[in-house]
Amino acid sequence: MSTLVIDKAGPTRKLGSMSRDRAWALRWSYFFLVLFAIFFLTPPLYMIITSLKSSAEISAATNPWWVFHPTLSNYVELLTSNQFLRFFWNSAIISIVVVIVTMLISIPAAFALARMKFWGSATLATGVFLTYLIPDSLLFIPLFKMLAVIQDLTGITLLNRWYVLVFIYPTLTVPFCTWIMIGYFASIPKELDEAAIIDGASWLQTLLRIFIPVALPGLIAATIFAFTVSWAQFLYPLVFTTSVDQLVLPVGITTTLIKGDVFNWGQIMTGALLGAAPPLIIYAFLMDYYIAGLTAGATKG
Amino acid sequence: MADVVIEQGGVARTARPRKARSLRNMLGRKSTVAFFLTLPLILLIGLLVLYPAFYSLYLATLNKAMTKFVGLGNFTFLFKRETFWMVVKQSCIFAITAVIFKALIGFIVAHFVHNIPGKKQRKWRGMLLVPWVIPPAMSTLAWLWLFDPSYSAFNYTLSFFGVGPIPWLGETFWARFSVILVNVWYGAPFFLIMYLAALKSVPDQLYEAASIDGANWWQKMWYVTLPMMRNIIAITTLFSLIVTFANFDIVRILTSGGPLDTTHLFATWAFQVGIQSSDIPLGACVSLFMVPILAVAAIFILRDVNKRGNEA
Amino acid sequence: MSRKTLTRRQFVAATAMSSTALIAAPYVRGAYAAGKLSIGFWDHWVPGANDASTALVKEWADKEKVEVSIDYITSNNKKIELTAAAEAQAKSGHDILQMPSWWPHAYSENLEPLNDVMEPLIKQNGEVNGTVKYLGQLDGKWLAVPATPGSQIKGPCSRIDLMKKHAGIDVQEMYPAGSPPKDDNWTLETFLKAAEACQKAGVPFGIGLGETTDSVDTAGAIFQSFGAELVNAKGDVTVKTDAVRQALEFYKKLIAVLPADAPSWDDASNNKWLISGRGAMIMNPPSAWAVAKRDAPQVAEQCWTHGFPSGPKGRFAPFLPYFWGVWSFGKNKEAAKSLLVHLSSPAAIEKFVVASGGYDLPAYANMTKFKTWAEEGPPKGTLFHYPDPYHRQTLSIAASPAPPKIAQQIYFQATLTKMALRFAQGEKMDTALAWAEGECEGFMRT
Repeated sequence: MSTLVIDKAGPTRKLGSMSRDRAWALRWSYFFLVLFAIFFLTPPLYMIITSLKSSAEISAATNPWWVFHPTLSNYVELLTSNQFLRFFWNSAIISIVVVIVTMLISIPAAFALARMKFWGSATLATGVFLTYLIPDSLLFIPLFKMLAVIQDLTGITLLNRWYVLVFIYPTLTVPFCTWIMIGYFASIPKELDEAAIIDGASWLQTLLRIFIPVALPGLIAATIFAFTVSWAQFLYPLVFTTSVDQLVLPVGITTTLIKGDVFNWGQIMTGALLGAAPPLIIYAFLMDYYIAGLTAGATKG
Repeated sequence: MADVVIEQGGVARTARPRKARSLRNMLGRKSTVAFFLTLPLILLIGLLVLYPAFYSLYLATLNKAMTKFVGLGNFTFLFKRETFWMVVKQSCIFAITAVIFKALIGFIVAHFVHNIPGKKQRKWRGMLLVPWVIPPAMSTLAWLWLFDPSYSAFNYTLSFFGVGPIPWLGETFWARFSVILVNVWYGAPFFLIMYLAALKSVPDQLYEAASIDGANWWQKMWYVTLPMMRNIIAITTLFSLIVTFANFDIVRILTSGGPLDTTHLFATWAFQVGIQSSDIPLGACVSLFMVPILAVAAIFILRDVNKRGNEA
Repeated sequence: MSRKTLTRRQFVAATAMSSTALIAAPYVRGAYAAGKLSIGFWDHWVPGANDASTALVKEWADKEKVEVSIDYITSNNKKIELTAAAEAQAKSGHDILQMPSWWPHAYSENLEPLNDVMEPLIKQNGEVNGTVKYLGQLDGKWLAVPATPGSQIKGPCSRIDLMKKHAGIDVQEMYPAGSPPKDDNWTLETFLKAAEACQKAGVPFGIGLGETTDSVDTAGAIFQSFGAELVNAKGDVTVKTDAVRQALEFYKKLIAVLPADAPSWDDASNNKWLISGRGAMIMNPPSAWAVAKRDAPQVAEQCWTHGFPSGPKGRFAPFLPYFWGVWSFGKNKEAAKSLLVHLSSPAAIEKFVVASGGYDLPAYANMTKFKTWAEEGPPKGTLFHYPDPYHRQTLSIAASPAPPKIAQQIYFQATLTKMALRFAQGEKMDTALAWAEGECEGFMRT
C-alpha cells in the first residue's frame, strides 16, 4: 500500500530540451485529465444540480445545468420521510452486520489458510477465490427458490425479510476479503508468530495479539470493501424483499421514488445522492486504505 | 502434511512440558484448530454458493410449474428462441466492448496521473475514482435522467451545436452505446487504480537504462512498461470481464432490456423470465449459460493464482 | 415490519399532525379482540389518497372490532407483482392483497372464491364491464373484487390549443363537458392525420412503444379496433390474419410520426412529454394532467381528457383495473370479505374517487357520473369524459380475449408493441408475424 503514496521523483534529465518536453507532457497530461475528470464527474454534479431544483423548475425545462431557484425542499422532504429513513436504517443495519459477519468469517479463515498449512489448504484457498467468479446473477434464482422451500418446511418467514440479506451478502464479501487478508497475513514474517508459539501463546492468541494488529491496514481495507459492496448491492434485495419497510436504499429509491406517473426527479436525485453519501464519506477519509484493498491482490502478485 | 503437524506440536510440547495433556493437545493440534477456523467459511460457501449453483442445475430441468422433470427440455426450448441468441450476442458485445474501453481509458488516464507531480496525484486520483465509489444503482439513475427523452441535459447541450435530439435509449445502436458508456464510466476508475499501482511498481532504473540505450517513448512503453504490467493487465481484464458479463443494475435501470430486447444481458433476461414471468426453471437455465464463459475465466485465473501461490 | 399499535386518539392526532409522514408507513389501529386482518393496498400516487383508504378501513374496523394493519405497496418496478409472487410461494402474507389486472388469474389456485361478495355487489352497483369479468372470473368463480383505487382508463389527453391550431380539431367541442360526445368523425384515420399534422408542427403525439403498460395498453386498444387478436379466446394462435396485418400497417404509419425514442418510453415518459409541453397528445389517465396542474399550470389549463378514436371494428379504450384478492391460505377470510363489501359500497367508492381527484374509476356501470369528474379543473370539465359516462367505448385490455394466462405473457412481454416496432423498422410483414407467432407459441409453455 505504501508504494502508492510514495512520491516518485521523475527520472533526472540532463538536457534542456528534455525538460521542455517534460513541461509539455505535463501540460498535455493536465489537459486530458481535466477532460476525463469532466467525463467522470458530470453525473454526480448533475445529481447535485437537480437535487436543488423544485419540481416546477424541472418541469419548466429551463437550462438543466443551472439552478435558478435553489431549494433544499427535496432534502427536507426525504430526511423527514419515515419511509426514506427506514431504507437508510435498513441499509445501515444490514451493511454493519454484514461487515461484522464477514470479518468474523474471513479473518480466522485467512489466518488458517495463510499460516497453518493443513490438508487441502491450498485447494481451499483457490476455491475461495474461485467462488468470487460465481456472480450474484447466477445465484439469485436458485437462492430465491431455496428460501421459499426452507420457509415452507420450517415456517420461518424468509422471503420479504431484510434479515435474510445479512446471510446472503457475505457470499459476495467473504471471498474477496479472505483473499485480501491471506495476502496481508502472508506478508507478516514467520519469525514473529513462531516466536509467539514458542513463548507459549495459543493459535488464537497469536491471531489476536500479533496478526490482527500488524495487518490492521489490510483489515481496514477489507472492512471498507465489505461495507461498500453490501451498501451497493441491488439484485439480491430487489429479488428477496418487496414490502416498503423491508427495502434497502438502492432498491427503495428506484422502486418508491420513481413513481410511474409522478414527476419527482428532484427527489430521486436527492435520494440517490444521499444514498451515495456514506460510501463517499468513508472513501473521502480512508481513500488510501480503500485503494490499497482494491489493489492488494495485484500488487502482491 | 502430517509430519509437519507432529513436529510443530513437538515444539510446543517441549516448550511447555507441564501443560501437555491429551484433550488440550487435541484442541491445540494445528489441523483441528485450522479446521475450526475455516469451518464458517466452508459452510458459507458450501451452503450459499455451491449448493445453489448445483440446485440451479436441478431447477433447470423442471417444467414451468415445477411439477415434473423435463430433462433438457428447457434448453432445447431456449435454443429455439430468437431472443435467447440475441441475449448471447448482446452479452458478448456488451462485455467485450465495455472491457476494452475500460482498459484503454484506465491505461491512458493512469499514465496521465502518473505523469503529474506526486503531491497533486492524490487529489486527481481521488476525483477520478468517484464513479467507482457511488453505488451503481444510484449513479445509473443520474444517467437515466441525463438520457431522459423529454428532459435530456445532453440533448439540451447538443441542441446548441445543431445536433440531435439523440434517442439515447430509444434506438438499438444508441441504447447499446448508452449502457456501454455507463458501464465504462463506472468501471474505468477500477482499471485506473490497478494500472496506477502497477506503474508505480515498475523500477525507475529500468526506464533510465532504456533512456541510456536511446529508447524512445514507444519503445519504453513496449519493452519496459507493458511487460512489467502484463500480469496486472491480464488479471484486471479477466476480473472485469466476469463482472461486466454478469452485470445487472445498469441495464435493468436504464433500459430494462429494451428497445425490442436489444440491450438484454443474461442477468436481466434471467430476471425477467425467472422472477417477473414466474418461470423459475427457464430463468435458471438462462443464467446457467454464464457458466462456460466463467469457466474459461476461471482456468486463466487459476493459472495465475497458482503462480502467485508458488511465489508466496 | 415496523408495526406499532396506536390508540385511536393518538392516531387522530398523528394524522392531523402530518399526513405525509404516515402515507407509506404501515398503519395499525386499536387492539381489539375480534381477530386481526392484514391488508396490502396499492400505494396511491395522489397525495392523501392513501389516507382515504385508511379512513374507510378504520371506519369498518371500529364497527367490527377487528385489528387491522395496512401496508401500502408501490406498483413501481412490479413491486406488487413481486409481493404477490412471494406471498403465493410462501403461502403466507396479507389477508387482502390488491393486485393489478392479470394477477387474479395468475394466482387462481391460491385465491378464495368471492362469489358471495360479488353477486350482491353487482345487484347493488350495476353490471361490471367485460374486462373486469374477463380478468376477475374463472369458470364462473369470482377470483377477486374489482378495486376502485388504481383502476383507470388510458384514453387520450389532448392539448386543446395545439390540437386546434395544428390538426384543426376542437376537442372540447367534440367532447363537451356535461353532454354526450360528438365523436362520429373521431376515427383512427382522423387520429392519424392529426398525429401527422402535429408531428410536422413539432409537437408529436407522445405515445410510447416500450414494454410497460402505457405503451402496451395503447397498442392493445388500436389492435382491438381492427379486430386483431394474436391468440383467440380458444387459445389458438391467430397471428397471421388480415386484421393483424391491417393493424400493423396502421401502426407503421403512426410510428413514423412518433418521437424517435418512443421505443424506450416507460410509463412516466408520456407524462413528462405532456408536462414539458413537447407534445399535443398522450394516452394516459389524468395523472399527467394532475402533475402538470402542480408543476406546469399553463400546460394543465390546456389539457382535455376524452375518448379513444374508433376503428373498423369499434371504439375500444384501454382499461386497467385493479382487484382486491383474498388468499385462500389467509387466516381471517370472513373479516376480509366483510371489509371488501364495505369498500365497495357506493359511499366508499365515491370517497375513493374524490380522494384521488377523479383518477380512480369504479368498475360498476352506475358509477360514472360523480360530480368530481364534472368539477375538476382547470379547465373545468377536463375529466368529464374520462370515465366514459355515455358508455361509448368498449373498455378492454390488451391481448384479450386470449386465455388470461397466455394473454398475460403477451401483455408483459409487450409482444404487440415489439411486433409493431419490428415491422415499422423495416422488417418484412411476414418476418414480423412469424416472430410474433413464435413468441405466442412460447407463451403456451406450462
